[in-house]
Amino acid sequence: MEIVMPCVVFFIIGFGLLKRVNVYDAFIKGAKNGLNTAIAILPSMGAMMVAVALLKESGLMAALVNVLAPVFALVGIDENAAPLMLMRPFSGSASLAILNSIFLTHGADSRAGLTASALMGSTETIFYTLSIYLAAAKVKKGRYAVAAAMLAWLFGGIAAGLFYK
Amino acid sequence: MLNWIWGIMVLMGILYGLICGNAGVLSAGMMDSAGDAVTLIIKMAGGFMLWNGLFEILEQSGAAKAIAGAMKPILGKLFRGVKTEESMTAMTMNLTMNMLGLGNAATPMGLRAMESLQRESDYGDSTSPAMCMFLVINASSIQLLPTTVLTLRRAAGSFMPEAVIWPTLCATAVSTLAGIFFCKLFEKGDKRLWKS
Repeated sequence: MEIVMPCVVFFIIGFGLLKRVNVYDAFIKGAKNGLNTAIAILPSMGAMMVAVALLKESGLMAALVNVLAPVFALVGIDENAAPLMLMRPFSGSASLAILNSIFLTHGADSRAGLTASALMGSTETIFYTLSIYLAAAKVKKGRYAVAAAMLAWLFGGIAAGLFYK
Repeated sequence: MLNWIWGIMVLMGILYGLICGNAGVLSAGMMDSAGDAVTLIIKMAGGFMLWNGLFEILEQSGAAKAIAGAMKPILGKLFRGVKTEESMTAMTMNLTMNMLGLGNAATPMGLRAMESLQRESDYGDSTSPAMCMFLVINASSIQLLPTTVLTLRRAAGSFMPEAVIWPTLCATAVSTLAGIFFCKLFEKGDKRLWKS
């Protein structure tokens, strides 16, 4: 996998030179756009990360896990893996921390560990992705995107749960 | 939409924290996470610069045109109404990098695609159907090999770290297909609102 990136870059620059493109100037121009995008999405990213931090630090997330664990258990998600199911759409780094603690407490090869592994890969950090993608496009109304993404998350979670029922 | 979601997340968090007497942790948490966002964007900015620079070369050399032409028959069915080669190429690169698990390159190309899709959109300050579909596919993960999870499993002393590859792939396929299905379904329901 590590050869993909260098090869892609080699191809892009090589093809550019072959086509008589001023690759240096083009790179600078594009890079400037990239930096603008980075700055454009920072406020939305900050807003989302503050909200997620409040949910975590207040203890609300942990309380929700306790309430929702039996519901998740209905679809076959191990109760010890339930915290990850809930955290996954909100925070990537917090999800990784939960995954690791499940591995260390229950074992990576336990039912909770296996379910959690599949859960981790079944979806991305939905709210973070949505907030920065919408910010980059400067779009205010996401219409049904959140609903569809949350349903995707739910179905992915159910699939992961069924595997280790 | 994010207006309500974000507002409720913040209010619920603060309310619950105050009830439980965690007010001190809340202020620290807010300041730290706002700072974390700045640190994170500084870390990511390098990738943004690199991949947008390379993308410009792709466009000027005509490679973007070739990529867009090659992918149009496949992606055109999924993403209706995509007009420019810039959108098509950026989406192709984002989806490919995502499948390979190269998130550092996938995100800048995904945002580039969103910017470009917005420029050709007739939907004003709302997402176009193609943008919704692209968002949902990005949110539902299409990574083929869960490398981070495998590394963590090995580190935790798993006897069969690779046992989760197939279940993960199935779960992510289910989530992506569900996302695509609901996007198409909701788009049909939403279309009436847009005709008026």
